[in-house]
Amino acid sequence: MTLVLENLAAGYGGTTVLRGINLVVPPSSVVALLGANGAGKTTLLRVASGLLKPSAGRIHLEGRDVTGSSPHQLVRRGVCHVPEGRGVFPSLTVRENLVLQSVAGNESDAIARAVSAFPRLGERLSQLAGTMSGGEQQMLALARAYIQSPRLILLDEVSMGLAPKIVDEIFEFLAMLAQSGASLLLVEQYVTRALEVADFVYLINRGEIAFAGEPSELDAADVFKAYVGVGL
Amino acid sequence: MNEYIPYIIFGVTSGAVFGISAMGLVLTYKTSGVFNIAHGAVCAAGAYVFYSLRQQADLPWPVAAALVVCVFGPLMGIVLERLAVAFSGVPTAFKIVGTVGLLVALQSLITLIYGSTSRVFDPFLPQGEAFSVSGTKVNYEQVIILLLGFAAAGALVTFFRLSRLGTAMRGVVDDPALLDLTGDSPTRVRRYAWIIGSSFAAMSGVLFASTQAQIDVNVLTLLVVQAFGAATIARFQSLPLCIVGGIVVGLLQKLVSKEITAYPDLQGLDLATPFIVLFIGLLVIPRRKLVETGRQIRAKAVPPSRVPRPFRAAGYGTTLLVALAIPQLWFVGAHLPAYNQALTQVTLFVSLHLLVRTSGQISLCHFGFAAIGAIGLGHMQGYGMPFALAVIIGGLLCIPPALLIAIPAIRLSGLYLALATLGFGIMLAQFCYGKSYMFGFGSLATERPAGFSDDETYYYLLLGVAVASVIAVLVIERSRLGRVLRGLSDSPVALQTLGLSVNVARVIVFCISGFMAGISGALYGSLFGSVSASTFNYVNSLVILAVLAISGRRVMSAAIVAPVLLYVIPNYIGDPDMNTMLQMAFGLAAMFAAANAQGGWDVPFTRLAERSSDRLRGPAEARLRRLEAHDGPSDKAQPVHGPRVPVTR
Ligand SMILES: Nc1ncnc2c1ncn2[C@@H]1O[C@H](COP(=O)(O)OP(=O)(O)OP(=O)(O)O)[C@@H](O)[C@H]1O
Ligand SMILES: [Mg+2]
Repeated sequence: MTLVLENLAAGYGGTTVLRGINLVVPPSSVVALLGANGAGKTTLLRVASGLLKPSAGRIHLEGRDVTGSSPHQLVRRGVCHVPEGRGVFPSLTVRENLVLQSVAGNESDAIARAVSAFPRLGERLSQLAGTMSGGEQQMLALARAYIQSPRLILLDEVSMGLAPKIVDEIFEFLAMLAQSGASLLLVEQYVTRALEVADFVYLINRGEIAFAGEPSELDAADVFKAYVGVGL
Repeated sequence: MNEYIPYIIFGVTSGAVFGISAMGLVLTYKTSGVFNIAHGAVCAAGAYVFYSLRQQADLPWPVAAALVVCVFGPLMGIVLERLAVAFSGVPTAFKIVGTVGLLVALQSLITLIYGSTSRVFDPFLPQGEAFSVSGTKVNYEQVIILLLGFAAAGALVTFFRLSRLGTAMRGVVDDPALLDLTGDSPTRVRRYAWIIGSSFAAMSGVLFASTQAQIDVNVLTLLVVQAFGAATIARFQSLPLCIVGGIVVGLLQKLVSKEITAYPDLQGLDLATPFIVLFIGLLVIPRRKLVETGRQIRAKAVPPSRVPRPFRAAGYGTTLLVALAIPQLWFVGAHLPAYNQALTQVTLFVSLHLLVRTSGQISLCHFGFAAIGAIGLGHMQGYGMPFALAVIIGGLLCIPPALLIAIPAIRLSGLYLALATLGFGIMLAQFCYGKSYMFGFGSLATERPAGFSDDETYYYLLLGVAVASVIAVLVIERSRLGRVLRGLSDSPVALQTLGLSVNVARVIVFCISGFMAGISGALYGSLFGSVSASTFNYVNSLVILAVLAISGRRVMSAAIVAPVLLYVIPNYIGDPDMNTMLQMAFGLAAMFAAANAQGGWDVPFTRLAERSSDRLRGPAEARLRRLEAHDGPSDKAQPVHGPRVPVTR
């Protein structure tokens, strides 16, 4: 699914975080969004999924203007945003989390799908999500990207703070999602791994797009500069 | 043992009703973060609608009950959900002001329609004997109510465990934004929570009226206090524990009422039980278990006045001149006593202003402090003490109770302070007012200071006191304490890191405010030669808060506008129905003011202005059609709306 952000600006309260953002996620492709801490990556994803209303600019999904839509409306259009941190309801059980992730009437099917993707969740269906390990919680959060069969998936540092083995597992899962034809907008700390899977890259620096192109056009120096936060 | 059985049966039955009410209260509080002080008024409204349908429109009771629980409750819930959204973006103090406004408005509306005296409520559930316990008969009504209570609790628990909507309601408590991302609208989920909560409220109102065999707006509105007693036991969290809490409160209440029959001094203590439960709860429940639900909003500072200083000074000067001339003005005449009343209340309003606006705390018992002040005056004068000293003692007497409420509550947060003060005000009215150390059964004689028996001379003395209290509050606001307090109202956390003891500052201001309220009560009490319990109805504590909320954001406006609104204008109106309407208007306006506490209405108003400015350029419709005919329907139609003014929050 195509996502187009056009001349977008957004912020919190009086402060503007994003300015003049133009970004395209082409159908069935993986786009990596890289930048230093505080550059505005999370903010950009929040705008794209409707959590934050842009103060200017338009958001188009498959050519349709969806600016101002709320997150649950965008979920129905096939958008899935796995937020920063743990995207689970800590005081609900794993099963209840999966129920909320699924479409009404399809709950048992959804739970079966989630367990097929992450067998470990199957053993813990009646555990409270908040009491699981970080990796397990992240799997639960990611299960949504599979259950809902979304066509655009926004992933915010889903590998943060996890053991290398689990990170491998998660990247395999992402590759599988990409293969299924969904578009991915990926924010990652593991820059090299993100660049390996990405078809396109955007570098964001202090709320503005500093580079847009294919990973091969990007040299290590640019990435470094973007990460230490100097203008290109 | 046997003599306890009737009390136990009554206690358990009324406890089940409290439990149903408390479940509604806790459910809506948890899902929306807005604690509905007007919950009891919703119960009352439900009971009155039932009364009208059944006893005035002669509908069979099952039809009336179904209409109340399945139509009235949900409609009310839909309205309340919208209100809760309006209040979600303001600091706790103003959330409370908003629901207090709702309480005042609803109660006035009911009084307007049905009058304030109680009416006979025909029991509708079968009254026959179901069985008997050691010779005490238990009737079907009691059995049904108890079963209904447990059924409601069971149904809710099942609903939360097994249904998707119930799961989503627990999800919205955890993380509303995440719920939105997983595809459920938090607004929709909250709306259902309010619908269930209001239906439960309506049901409990009907059942409560039925157990009392009478319907009385003042009694029913207090159902919120029983409910929060029950909710305390449930730690404002657990729904099944609400029913347990309700039964505990109901049982305690009835058992206390049995035990105190032998002690006239304790008469009325049973009514104070829910407050005592709340108070003990606030003392013993660990702080981390009583966190407030919902986003904590920081208050925005009041912007500096747009009127330049010399103009303001001239304005105040003129006001003072007018105030000095009042007794001579042509429209005053026989209304002068009302102006005197208003002047005594200046002190009350500025003290409440100091508390609410400067320190971001709340008191729902300021009229109770005023009552203590008046009582202090009366008793001290009875001992032959001179007027000035008696007034000051009246004020000082408020400090111990202020300390007693503030210390446990302030440790927690604004909401719990509000609940503690509301409970205290009500306990004072129900338990203490009738005792000989307060008003006693009759009234308490008071005197004006020597030489001021004439209203006009007294007017000038009161004006002097009013000006002095305004100056006192202005000085406090500009003092170090005032700066600490303003910082408090802006951000308690920042202060804590500065090493200033926030809680000490809070307690100090609460005491100062209580002291001033006591002074104002003493002056008020001196006006008419005697005071009685009815002068200091607890509801007035809520009304003054509503009036304060609509009287502007500064000391001067609180001092001038609020007393005029509350005392002078009603005196000119005279007609009691019109005055009830006025009170309803205060409530509604307070809701509006609370929602606007952070400039919440700026957004819709700016949008409206934007749209009207578009309209000025010609009929937008016609232009749109012309454009579309020209180059087809497309995004290009957008520019018709002209440049968009960015709407900032
Ligand atoms: N809720 C908020 N309120 C106010 N400012 C915010 C809020 N969230 C983020 N910001 C500010 O917006 C800027 C961008 O934040 P954002 O979270 O988008 O950065 P990021 O690129 O995701 O950083 P990181 O790599 O650390 O996750 C930061 O300066 C941050 O302080
Ligand atoms: Mg981030």
